[in-house]
Amino acid sequence: MTSQLPRMLRYGIPMVVTAALIGGADAMTRGAANQLTGLLLLACLAMAWNLVSGFAGQFSLGHSIFVGVGGYATAVLLDYLELPLILVVLAAGVVSALVGVILAYPMLRLRGPYFAIGTLGIALAVRGWMLNWDVTRASRGYPIPPESLLDIATLLRVAALLALITLVTALAIKESSLGLRLIALRDNEDGAASVGVRRVRSVVPTWAISAMLTGMLGAVIALQNGNLTPNSAFSIQYTLDAVVVCVIGGLGTLSGPLLGAVIVFVLRQYTADFAGWASLLEAVVVILVVRFFPDGAVGVIVRVRGLIRSRLRSRDAGAPREKAGRA
Amino acid sequence: MEPVIQGILLGGLYATTALGLSLVFGVIRMVNLAHGDVLMVGAYLTSLLVVALGADPLLLAIPAAVIVGAVAYPLQRFVLNPLVVHSAEAPITATFGISVVIQSLLLLAFTSNPRTINAPYSSASVEIAGVHLRASLLIALAAAVVLVVVLDALLNRTRFGRQVKASAIDPDAAGLVGINLGHTYAVVFAIAAAVATIGGTLIALSFSVDPVGGTTWLLRAFTVVVIGGLGSIRGTLAGGLIVGVVESVGAVLVGAQYRDVVVFGILVVVLLARPNGLFTRAVRA
Repeated sequence: MTSQLPRMLRYGIPMVVTAALIGGADAMTRGAANQLTGLLLLACLAMAWNLVSGFAGQFSLGHSIFVGVGGYATAVLLDYLELPLILVVLAAGVVSALVGVILAYPMLRLRGPYFAIGTLGIALAVRGWMLNWDVTRASRGYPIPPESLLDIATLLRVAALLALITLVTALAIKESSLGLRLIALRDNEDGAASVGVRRVRSVVPTWAISAMLTGMLGAVIALQNGNLTPNSAFSIQYTLDAVVVCVIGGLGTLSGPLLGAVIVFVLRQYTADFAGWASLLEAVVVILVVRFFPDGAVGVIVRVRGLIRSRLRSRDAGAPREKAGRA
Repeated sequence: MEPVIQGILLGGLYATTALGLSLVFGVIRMVNLAHGDVLMVGAYLTSLLVVALGADPLLLAIPAAVIVGAVAYPLQRFVLNPLVVHSAEAPITATFGISVVIQSLLLLAFTSNPRTINAPYSSASVEIAGVHLRASLLIALAAAVVLVVVLDALLNRTRFGRQVKASAIDPDAAGLVGINLGHTYAVVFAIAAAVATIGGTLIALSFSVDPVGGTTWLLRAFTVVVIGGLGSIRGTLAGGLIVGVVESVGAVLVGAQYRDVVVFGILVVVLLARPNGLFTRAVRA
């Protein structure tokens, strides 16, 4: 969708929205700020995951690792160093990116379903290790120093800024030659290789960027929650959320994760009172979307727009209706 | 030496729980991310039947397997089949969704408390040369051998088996000679789910199951399948025994609390050792 907006608007609109959120954070009620923060963080997670799993087509089931690494890096840094918060979040992202690069080389030897299962295996192995490691203090939890915890208005500002960074990164990647290479690899790896596009060389930087953004998200989540346990910080639920949001919105598109985040978020508002049913409903929606609308909500919009356009055109020309093309 | 013997015993159970995954993998070339959850469904369904009918769980696993298979057939035929031809990602996403659906349903119906199936033999053990062998695991090992022989015969000695192998080796050619691919895939998926139901019952006889426990079993089954060779039924038995032994010995070496880490560690090492050439082989016996 956004690809049809002029360049200035593509970058301008998100910046204006972010500025408005940052400026208006104090004027909001606690509840509204809380909800907006939740929505923004969900969108961040989905956008970061989409870089690897949508653009590059490497279906990762291991992104919960980066949320956890970012969170624990934040807690440990705050414990030992006096640093401004923004540096802590950035450092958490860097640590997460390093972990990502270390994991990328072995994992990228795997393809398709093997990559998915391999990353899921690593995610569970890391969680199992953390549950038994002294550094994480296991189930007793690792607290964030109370003076570092953010009030809700600041949290909203940080979340808005992170969402902007993530979106602009995704835009920049999509428009760069890296983005073209990733899509070429996803759609036809042999073809891409024949024109000199190497899988590892293109995917590793993307994976590292995705890990960094997810790690920064983990830092913000840690600053929001205040206490870390291996089960909460490394929860597979994060990966699950990313998959659900991207599939519903439109995997591998720019606006898909944003649209998906809004849809899933609204869905969750309505199912909040029915504990347990929410994830059931989401999973059913995911299956239906995969089966009947493989391009997600973005695909539906494109199709509907194409239909309307071709109707208008055929009416103007007085010609028989032509078939709507799929974008 | 004792961990090795215990590992071989465990291996029978592991092979049983992996047979369905191997079959689907080999024939449909689809990784069923919900396989572990089907195991859990099998365990819960059998335990319900045991409570309702009071008969032996091993006997009741058979009607449970028929029920699960009957649900699995339309699922493959109408939901998953159209996705298999579509792209590689679609079936992953869809079976991932099915996995969450099953976990949510089990949580809603049975809460997160672990559950076991009790039978007179579930806590019994046999002592041979000073080593205690759990009766339930011996039964699982026997079941693994029986299931491997039966599936092997089904694939190699029947007309249906020849159709399955043809569909696995060359789907297009199989379709051209009149094999109904959609039906064949769905039957294979149903058989896999039925075998998984028996596997789940055996898990619950020896250990406990819980609604989200399927993920660990999925990864373990995947390791078994990768070691045993894609779609190889006899290989799955060998893979199960290998994983059982490595896991038991590993747990002794690094401590029992790291057992899960050992399981996933084996998976990652095996995947890295054999990253390619896994998806090229068609079904062999």
